[in-house]
Amino acid sequence: MDRMLYVAMSGAKEVMLSQANNTNNLANANTDGFKQDFNIFRAQHVQGPGMASRTYSMDERPATDFSAGAIKVTGNNMDIVTKEDGYIGVQTPAGDEAFVRSASMQILDDGSLVDVKGNPVLNEGGAPINIPPSKTVTIGDDGTISVVLADSPSNQLVVLDQVRLVKPNIKELEKGLDGFIRLKDGADPVEQSAVQVVSGALESSNVNTAEALVNMIELSRKYEMQIKMMSTAKAHAQKSDSMLSLR
Amino acid sequence: MNRALYVAKTGLEAQQFRLAAISNNIANANTYAYKAGRAEFDDLMYQNVRQPGAQASQNESSTLPSGLQLGTGVKAIGVQKIHTQGNLVVTDNQLDLAIEGKGFFQALDQNGDLMYTRDGSFQVNQDGDVVTSSGYLLEPNINIPQNSTDISITRDGAVFVTEPGNTAQTQVGQIELSTFMNPAGLQAMGHNFYTETTASGTANVINPQTAEAGSLTQGALEASNVNTVEELIGMIEAQRTYEMNSKAISAADGMMQYLNNNI
Repeated sequence: MDRMLYVAMSGAKEVMLSQANNTNNLANANTDGFKQDFNIFRAQHVQGPGMASRTYSMDERPATDFSAGAIKVTGNNMDIVTKEDGYIGVQTPAGDEAFVRSASMQILDDGSLVDVKGNPVLNEGGAPINIPPSKTVTIGDDGTISVVLADSPSNQLVVLDQVRLVKPNIKELEKGLDGFIRLKDGADPVEQSAVQVVSGALESSNVNTAEALVNMIELSRKYEMQIKMMSTAKAHAQKSDSMLSLR
Repeated sequence: MNRALYVAKTGLEAQQFRLAAISNNIANANTYAYKAGRAEFDDLMYQNVRQPGAQASQNESSTLPSGLQLGTGVKAIGVQKIHTQGNLVVTDNQLDLAIEGKGFFQALDQNGDLMYTRDGSFQVNQDGDVVTSSGYLLEPNINIPQNSTDISITRDGAVFVTEPGNTAQTQVGQIELSTFMNPAGLQAMGHNFYTETTASGTANVINPQTAEAGSLTQGALEASNVNTVEELIGMIEAQRTYEMNSKAISAADGMMQYLNNNI
């Protein structure tokens, strides 16, 4: 049987996977803090006897686009977002550290400061933050948390802690299967650095919807081309069958 | 089957959920003491289709550098109540109270359990007891004598009445407020009431003007904190994202259709 059919079939299958990835970006176009995934095809050459004409394509998610999303002002002083290339450290359910660009925080009944998914926000030392009963909580420009304690007068601010703010090299970041952004295995640990924080705002998803829609069209057409190749292979096979038939 | 279909389906559901939350906010844009809710989303887990570092061929030096992980969509994780202060609306009604701070009024439901509200549009029932606008008794109970001509409530919650033939005012009660460590964790019951949950922490009952409870303003009510402009923009965003996801479904459908028609 002609190998052309198999090459076209693998092309169609990989395009379908790529379409799923692109749709995932679109589905998260409104998820705050989401980073879109890149999607590429790689030529996979088949070595062996015969003409070197078989090159299968393979779909890959090589990396995540860590560019900033649009900042939207919410006016809620527990919403924070970092400027430039800074990240905030949070603790994942697995217990290790993950990085986010913005967090919509709340204080639980035991005083722990968590983001909207319930993951503790870390302090400069990498430990979860605990906030005692207080009238107001303010997050400063450099992530300093200052509070007015519940039993003290309103003008008595106490500096409590500082949010863990880092500037990792984005080449050393990767998105895990649980959607958290972490340092790659073997990357150097990152230190607390000077990062500007804006409170009262959140970062929206960085999905470029126009690009994703154009991609969607492109992938649909690419898929149709593969199908066309498959039906061409079918036509070829039919032709040779009828030419070689005994009747 | 094409997994893009299912991923786009989660996108449609999430936007529908968001629109429901936005509609609820807009519907309550004029409800006294209503707190806006914000729909929050999270991306679903990724599926490992091809492991990075796997062997690409028999040749040991050729490994896959990046692999393929496919996201499976988005899910709504809940509606977070935004407990910011609403504007004060002056009504000049003697039993209207607004809280400027973090406190909640306490009321007893039909079973005698505590409920919490920031809606201070109080009234007096047939027995002279102070009740909320939906008829639940204020806790601690305050009784207004029938012959009283004037009620005044101080910033710190002391309730005084003037009775005929008596120039001095008499105190008939003290309003107490509850504060919570995490007000966003309160469970909304409807009718402007909340009940405490493990997430909110237990109520800390204190007098107004102490700690973070805030002070009372007589003759005013707290308006809804819904920002209608923000909600309308959110509505546009939700609708357009919904459309894009339905486009993705028809694209996936088109692929399958083309396959079926041509092979």
